[in-house]
Amino acid sequence: MAATDARTLRALGGPAARDRARSAAEAGRPARERLPYMVHAEWTKLRTLPTTWLILAAAVLLTTAIGAAATSGLDPGHCRGTEPCAEDIVKQSLTGVLVGQVVVAILAIHAVCGEYATGTIRTTLTAMPDRVRVLVAKAVVVGGLTAAAGAAGVGAALGTARFVLLSQGFDHAHGYAALTLADGATARAAVGSVLNLVLVGWLTLGLAWLVRDSAGAIGSVLGLLYLSPVLASLANDPTWQHRLRKYGPGPAGLSVQNTLRLDRLDIGPWPGLGVLAAYTGAALLVGGLALCRRDA
Amino acid sequence: MAATDTTPPAPPAPAPSAGYRSTLGPGRDGFGRLLHAEWTKLRTVRRWVLTLLAAVAATLIVSVLAAGGIHNGGGDKPPPTYNDRTVNDGFRFIHQALTGDGTITARITGVRPVREVGPGFDHPVSAPWAKGGLMVKTSTTPGSDYAAVMLTERHGVRFQAHFVDDTAGSSTSGDDARWLRLVRTGDTVTGYESADGTTWHRVGTTHLSGLPQTVEVGLFATSPEGLEISRSFGSTSVTGGPTRATAGFEKVAVQGTTAGAWQTHDIGQERRPGPPPPDMPPFPDNESTQNGDAFTITGSGDVGPMDIDADAVRQSLSGALIGLIPIAALGVLFITAEFKKGMIRTSFLASPRRGRVLAAKALVLGAATFVAGLLAAVPAFLLGRSEWKRNGFRPPVYPDLGLGDGPVLRAVVGTGLVLALVAVLALSVGVLVRNTAAAVAIVVVVLVLPQMLMAGLPVGAARFLSDYTPIAGFSIQSTTPNYPQVDGSCLPEDGCHTYAPWTGPGVLLAYTAVLFALAVWRLRRRSA
Repeated sequence: MAATDARTLRALGGPAARDRARSAAEAGRPARERLPYMVHAEWTKLRTLPTTWLILAAAVLLTTAIGAAATSGLDPGHCRGTEPCAEDIVKQSLTGVLVGQVVVAILAIHAVCGEYATGTIRTTLTAMPDRVRVLVAKAVVVGGLTAAAGAAGVGAALGTARFVLLSQGFDHAHGYAALTLADGATARAAVGSVLNLVLVGWLTLGLAWLVRDSAGAIGSVLGLLYLSPVLASLANDPTWQHRLRKYGPGPAGLSVQNTLRLDRLDIGPWPGLGVLAAYTGAALLVGGLALCRRDA
Repeated sequence: MAATDTTPPAPPAPAPSAGYRSTLGPGRDGFGRLLHAEWTKLRTVRRWVLTLLAAVAATLIVSVLAAGGIHNGGGDKPPPTYNDRTVNDGFRFIHQALTGDGTITARITGVRPVREVGPGFDHPVSAPWAKGGLMVKTSTTPGSDYAAVMLTERHGVRFQAHFVDDTAGSSTSGDDARWLRLVRTGDTVTGYESADGTTWHRVGTTHLSGLPQTVEVGLFATSPEGLEISRSFGSTSVTGGPTRATAGFEKVAVQGTTAGAWQTHDIGQERRPGPPPPDMPPFPDNESTQNGDAFTITGSGDVGPMDIDADAVRQSLSGALIGLIPIAALGVLFITAEFKKGMIRTSFLASPRRGRVLAAKALVLGAATFVAGLLAAVPAFLLGRSEWKRNGFRPPVYPDLGLGDGPVLRAVVGTGLVLALVAVLALSVGVLVRNTAAAVAIVVVVLVLPQMLMAGLPVGAARFLSDYTPIAGFSIQSTTPNYPQVDGSCLPEDGCHTYAPWTGPGVLLAYTAVLFALAVWRLRRRSA
């Protein structure tokens, strides 16, 4: 009895767990503590929850539907200037990623906060005491699912938008080429959008480890993503507008969706994604520290 | 447990046939008790109180940030005023003095834009509200009272008076001819129109109080600023510049005691000496010709209310658009936390009528968020007011409004009201979805995403988002009147709505009511 308690305590305690993991690595890890095994365990946990598939389906559907809605309002003739109306149709088609981000955040919260709400986290940490590896395993599974759903959503959004735009008159006669991934800029926007979704998923994961409570986690993610663009639209000082769009994780991370007039962006496509990645790294670091330092 | 030999004085044993009856009085199930219970729940969870405080802080801070930084350069020449309201009063007027009662009649052959490239544009632009017609004006001083019947380029025949009144007549196109007549009897002026000059229809009538015995009657033509809104690359550019329009008149006849000679005036458009300022495009020249009883007038300018595009009051309350995020989270948590912790079973055990429980929750939550909204909106307005007064938003163009003035009171109290509705909406979504993260995300996405998308969408789609999604409730914050007879740059992302301030909260209320009814239905049908 006492021996079991001591083992459980050691398994739950952060520093003790690291010591144990280190000694286990020297002695040759048991199979269940190798990363592929842990990833498989996380995959099983997430796969067997029906909500997971509901969330993933919502991500794909909303990304596609909102992109279609945003493009269906476009009209190639609505600007009457002398220069051709340069509407960034790729960016418009990918508008749904804005909502896809939120759904991906829900998935990450579902994966972490669900365990805290039900107490599964204690079982998880008892079975897999190396907390850093638990974090990595979860990140791999959430990232993989997000990438898959993101690719499906972005692909479907572009496919739908291609159809919608052609029927709307965005054709060669109006100076528009049909949407295709063969176009370098379009491909960058598509790949960048999927990466953006993965980064947002990981960002949420980090915050979720830190906050643990699902309402707090979704609140902080939405705040982080949405605060800077809304503030930028409310602010009147152009310098601050520029700064908010350049360093806010939401707008900077979506800069990668632009295909036109890149010189006028607040931040370039890849550097913008870099800003989001920096936020994600910081969130994962803080979340990981919280996971390792606090009692579960 | 107690010892067996000392039996406590047990309640009177119930008769076996009657079943168990609680000895507690019936008062505990009253709605007042229910409200008190919900209020206790709300006030004793420290996180929820902190969330409410966060909403107040976010609203206040963002409002102050948004109110600062708008500067108003202001023109060097103050615009004319009528009844303490700044107005536009600029047109070419061919007139004569009329003493006592009289009538002016003319056949207007059309109001057509001058196809020219005006200053500020690289292609010809026209103004749909270009107008020409007959006018009775108390004097030639800008801002003096008037009544006029006119043909407009795209908006048919109108009867306008006192700068703000506008009555529609027939929808004659600006290319078609129409007979117009203006009759002055005492201080009443009535406008008529006719297709053939024999059968007349009244368009409108008005009472010009204090109309002097001798007034100016005559013909006028003017064309307001042309506006072009182009949106691309997620940004909007609004181009504006003066336009000109030409109105033709035939068979002009004045009956009554007149001075006899026609005079030509450009009302409100005296040229300043020297070259025009570089940032302001010069007014194009007005022209007119007379050929017997036929006239042609080409004019530029406008006569009517001045469109105030900057709504400083709304700007100083705009933090509520951020403050609603914590409010939505609180509204959702107020019910999902009970589901999660099993508290809902205790609640329903104590008060089995579930609809009443939810109603009590909605009332308590709504009242608390309303008070929180007021606590944020009042200081936000007061701070914003001193800020924009310092930045040049002063009378006469921008009225100096205090907290007690009607529109401000409506905007400030309305902010609290809209936040309360958002909270109840979130509560209803919480009941329907039950999953905290999903419910919060749904409410926040529905309320915040339109704000982000509006600027990048075509104006029609953006207007749909701002007018018909729950975010429409914020139309109650607007305090500047929106005149349909003036083409302003009313952009949805600037918070400009095309309907009255109270309509938007009605839209939000409808969404909230439907979701609340669904929530009650669902709560009754589903086991807790």
